[in-house]
Amino acid sequence: MELNICHLYPDVLNLYGDRGNVLCMQRRLQVRGVGVTVTGVSVGDPLDAAKYDLFFIGGGQDFEQAVLLQDLTGAKTQAICAAVEDGKPFLAICGGYQMLGKSYTTWDGQECEFTGALDLWTVGGKKRMIGDYCFTCDDLGGEPVVGFENHSGRTYLGASVQPMGKVLAGFGNNGEDGTEGVRYRNVFGTYSHGCLLPKNPKLADLILQTALARKYGSFDLAPLPDTLEQTAHDYMVKRLLKK
Amino acid sequence: MKKIRIFLAVLACKTSRWLLRLLGGGGTDFPGRVALALCPNLLGELAKNVTTILVTGTNGKTTTSRMIEQTLADSEISYFANKSGANLLSGVTAEFCAFSTLGGKCKKSVALIEADEAAFKAISRFVDAKTIVVTNVFRDQLDRYGEVTHTLGNLRIGLENSPNATVCLNADDSLCASLADTAKNVVFYGVNVPIYASRVAELSDAPYCLRCKHEYEYEYITYGHLGKWQCPSCGYARPDPQAAVTSIAVSNADRSEITVTVDGTPFDLTVNLPGGYNIYNACASMAAAKASGLDLSVAAAALGHFSCGFGRMEKFRVGKTYARMILIKNPAGCNQVLNFLTQRRDPFVFAACLNDRAQDGKDVSWIWDVDFERLAQMGDTLQRVCVSGIRAADMALRFYYAGIPAEKIEVCDTYDALLDKFAEQTAPIYVMPTYTAMLSLRKICSKKFGLKAFWE
Repeated sequence: MELNICHLYPDVLNLYGDRGNVLCMQRRLQVRGVGVTVTGVSVGDPLDAAKYDLFFIGGGQDFEQAVLLQDLTGAKTQAICAAVEDGKPFLAICGGYQMLGKSYTTWDGQECEFTGALDLWTVGGKKRMIGDYCFTCDDLGGEPVVGFENHSGRTYLGASVQPMGKVLAGFGNNGEDGTEGVRYRNVFGTYSHGCLLPKNPKLADLILQTALARKYGSFDLAPLPDTLEQTAHDYMVKRLLKK
Repeated sequence: MKKIRIFLAVLACKTSRWLLRLLGGGGTDFPGRVALALCPNLLGELAKNVTTILVTGTNGKTTTSRMIEQTLADSEISYFANKSGANLLSGVTAEFCAFSTLGGKCKKSVALIEADEAAFKAISRFVDAKTIVVTNVFRDQLDRYGEVTHTLGNLRIGLENSPNATVCLNADDSLCASLADTAKNVVFYGVNVPIYASRVAELSDAPYCLRCKHEYEYEYITYGHLGKWQCPSCGYARPDPQAAVTSIAVSNADRSEITVTVDGTPFDLTVNLPGGYNIYNACASMAAAKASGLDLSVAAAALGHFSCGFGRMEKFRVGKTYARMILIKNPAGCNQVLNFLTQRRDPFVFAACLNDRAQDGKDVSWIWDVDFERLAQMGDTLQRVCVSGIRAADMALRFYYAGIPAEKIEVCDTYDALLDKFAEQTAPIYVMPTYTAMLSLRKICSKKFGLKAFWE
């Protein structure tokens, strides 16, 4: 039993700890005896989506994101859209999350086209939304998820996608409608650095479970003790929700 | 009217500083803010007749400043320096006040100023520096400084405000070297040989050409994105450094022995702090000496006996062993500490104190960009890992996912508990605190083990 993880643009979209999510998925599979390979696919590399069971995209600095936009159009965009429709699981964070949407409009009105894999779009603002934050995850029965957001883009969801959950503390997608993240088929998108998965072990397992179930039919992940994970998670939930 | 204003501002600054110290605080920021409120252009007035050497950049500012300071002291030049790490506009103003008469005349001939790369922009509007050193540009606390291109933009504005300065730039850093077009006089410095036989796995903060966005090629990398770089597409390439490290004979747990060649003249010297990044700081201080017209032999000798800034590999006794305190701020700096630690062959204890206050960086996710996996591969050489600080739980989790066995990781809820744990050890301890964690740790250390107060 094995999962092949595709890490998209690992050398470009690597802002603040996002690779920790990949480390975390690897580790949580390994301790359960599930094989795992991680393949980086970057600028200039062809993307053969059929080879992979799970996709990860992080966020990047503006300068580097501009470098890869040209690479993302064309064949890669088609491959990503097809994989999303095919039910392949994706975890996309911050800039990677925005790129799965239709477009990004800068605050001075320049529009930049993205993959359009998901029915959402982002509008740049002058004010950055920065800080620790906390939101519910509907797929986990409202379980709080903790992370750190740092974005000036405000993301709005179209009718064909769902938010990941509701903001309990912080800004979320746009600081206006109280939603955070996106869910569509097996795609999970969020603004949450943190990094996200290590201290939200239930979310990590949900994504892994989704990928394994899609590949092998039903599959039950054995529970892990998660003592350190839960301590880090609970500390931040308490700190944010106490106010 | 202007004179009265200056008089009042300097007086208020000196008095509030004296009062704060009397009450037992460090008092480097608040007095400056009081003075600036009374006289917004105070720094400009006080800095008028002083030769200023200014050090800025992401990592290595404090150590480079201490190296230059030793050169000034050994040259018997009357100088003052903002030693306590008060490197924002208010802190720098307070330092100038402290060394001025009430009439606003500086009592020293040289000011050595360490400036936060964001505050540099503001400080440069008032201070006409003679020499400016830019150490490097790395991504650092995004919640505070933004992306590296933003930091680069701030440095650019600061340099444009300083048309009379000779600017020392790190040739090995493609970001830093790009600032050359802002200055009439540039001294490039760099390291002409690789530093480490093996390095930790690092993310590059600048993989793509700043001019044409093509990927850089490297003949060698010293660390991070530093090395001998060139863009195969547009030809943008590392400039030849006038002050260059041309050989590294020794680089051990206590010091480095290197040759720095300045305009063709070699200087064999000892850097009395370990770590490859301190070789860069040493080279930067030689460049600063050249730019400031100081005696290069004096500058070379100074590197063998300067005293390090607080928390910069600072060594102190703890029970039966000793500890070195190494301030960490960002992935690049932290990875350099690991490059140093992974070369150790004798057993040691490692500790990390992670806080998330404004001065530490509120976003702690950068710890996932540091190659702690390399520590896990050291086996029993790494005896134990202690974690403490506000975000100790995140730090413990990071070490656990790096592959360090859970039984080796010890979470200490308080710094007192951490220091008690230190006192039980026999192997040397390396402790990495973030900024505010270091301040707290030092306070308790001085109570327990008798360290100097940090503003001394």
